[in-house]
Amino acid sequence: MKNPMTLGLATGAAALAIMTGVVVSRVKAAETRLNEPDKAQEAVAVADHAEEAYCTPAFKTVLQRVLNACGLVGQESRRGCQPGDVKTFASIDDDDFNALFTPLVKRGGIVMFDEGKEDIDDGARRLVEQKWGDRKGARYFFIVARASKTGSVDKNRSLSHRRANSVQYFLKEKTNDPDLDSQVGMLWLGSEFAQLGKDYCETWENSRPGQKCDTDAVNRSAFVSWVDCRL
Amino acid sequence: MSNESNRPAPAALLAMGGSLLGLAFGIVSTTDFAAHLDRKVHGVTCSFVPGLLSSEGGANACATALYSPYSSLFRRAVWGGVPIALFALGAFAFFLGMGVWLWRANVAGIPRSVRLAFGALGMTPALVSILMFTISMTKLGAVCKVCSGIYIASFLVAASAAIVLKGALEEEPSGPPVLAAGATLAVILGAMTFSPAAVYAATVPDFGTYVGGCGKLEKSEEKHGALLHLPTATPTKKALMFVDPLCPTCKAFHEQLSSEGIFDRLDPTVSLFPLDGSCNWMIDAERPVHPGACVVSRAVICGEASQESRAILEWAYEHQPELTAAGKESPAKVKALVAARFAKVSACIDDPKTERRLHQMLQFAVENHIRVSTPQFYLDGQRLCDEDSDLGLSYALRRLAPEVLP
Repeated sequence: MKNPMTLGLATGAAALAIMTGVVVSRVKAAETRLNEPDKAQEAVAVADHAEEAYCTPAFKTVLQRVLNACGLVGQESRRGCQPGDVKTFASIDDDDFNALFTPLVKRGGIVMFDEGKEDIDDGARRLVEQKWGDRKGARYFFIVARASKTGSVDKNRSLSHRRANSVQYFLKEKTNDPDLDSQVGMLWLGSEFAQLGKDYCETWENSRPGQKCDTDAVNRSAFVSWVDCRL
Repeated sequence: MSNESNRPAPAALLAMGGSLLGLAFGIVSTTDFAAHLDRKVHGVTCSFVPGLLSSEGGANACATALYSPYSSLFRRAVWGGVPIALFALGAFAFFLGMGVWLWRANVAGIPRSVRLAFGALGMTPALVSILMFTISMTKLGAVCKVCSGIYIASFLVAASAAIVLKGALEEEPSGPPVLAAGATLAVILGAMTFSPAAVYAATVPDFGTYVGGCGKLEKSEEKHGALLHLPTATPTKKALMFVDPLCPTCKAFHEQLSSEGIFDRLDPTVSLFPLDGSCNWMIDAERPVHPGACVVSRAVICGEASQESRAILEWAYEHQPELTAAGKESPAKVKALVAARFAKVSACIDDPKTERRLHQMLQFAVENHIRVSTPQFYLDGQRLCDEDSDLGLSYALRRLAPEVLP
């Protein structure tokens, strides 16, 4: 190719063809990769609720059973668990049951009631509101109601049920939250299971600070807390 | 032919050398761009030695340039647009051919009118480079090395053109009319410049099926009213954004939306999602991704009362390096920086109600099962794919919400 102009044209055309060919091959290679799964994307976690250290396998077992048996999971119409249920599904003795909740000492609180009553006072409202508002990343809110040993087993069972309901009704009224039922787990233990010791008066925040607190008083109560566990 | 006549003239050497350099940097830039057509994250080459160094994750000036709206044309029609460097490839191929012609014809063997036309056309790459350099400096605040390689190549070609032009101007008029020669060369240059772009546009995959295929919001309303509504000039389309004020990608996304005039046409709601374990339980508190982001997020929430939320968010984007550095030391230092600029929000930042509202935003993210990454952008509840949030933004918005495009 002796003609300089022809040589120039050929060089330019060849350069153009090579460059275009490289670009097209890169585009085709990208197209091939397009439908391959993106490992970087797959590795990204999905937003979820909190999982704190106290969510031990034992705690989660009880939690799962509570949720299954007490109406939070599934379509059961019943709400809440009574002492007989708890004994059966928890398969756990009183002390071990209470010990499961010990790590919630900074998270939960004890709503106290008058003897034989289920009405919640201003202190109780404040405490429930405060604890409910301090949700952070938790998924479930627990109400565990009790009654003192005073009175018959049946009466106390019924009384603790009403106490749990009082707290739940208050929350419903206060929050107007349509998802409340799927968040709140209720247990009423009457006076026959997992009674609290007097030490709970000192170690747990309660709705009547500064007032007399003994074993009877601390069991006329509903323990409330968010639980930061995933299931 | 003697040895002396075989030796290329300086003008020919400059044209060939500049063109080869331009082709080398141009192909690196174009192939980097084309790699992104697989909608995955890639490193971006940023070195004066073409292809030698690559930065994963894109944290370099070349990545800034590549992801900027100035790296390509026709973005609404072609996903990512047609890379500017492709036009350079065609132009440098033309000038390489001209350089060979100059060499083999020993410059003076080319008709004077053709040399005049080459002299004029040879300046065009340098003019484009000056324009792109100005954009880099004024709009991006960074000059990428690969781009600089193309600029240097352009000036070598321009130097060649200047030498040839000077020689031709000193001669008496002869040969074919200058206008005819100029028009012919211009047509060839134009055809060669646009042909790679045309082939590229015809070859890129159809991304229409991918846009909008990244899911929907499960719950569009936050039941406590915790989300923040940001004011814009002409809100035309509801948008929801999960953002972290100290996330560089959020900043880049916001700047892109703003610079393209899109943000002010949105009706945006913001759900803050700080990647900082001091408030976000989904992040390891010992290893926060963006330390200090919780404090800044609370400040953005607090800004609602004085209608400063948008201003605080944009200020945080602008001052990310200082805020992140302060966050690594202590939350108090971040708060001090925010309070020094926005005194009104100072008291509110540590209010438990503010913390609670931030947690409600995070719970909203949980309810929607979003990925733990930011930003995430929803238009009328439909999620914009991450892959469409930079290069493919205009293409995706044209299909999802054309009304937000100016």
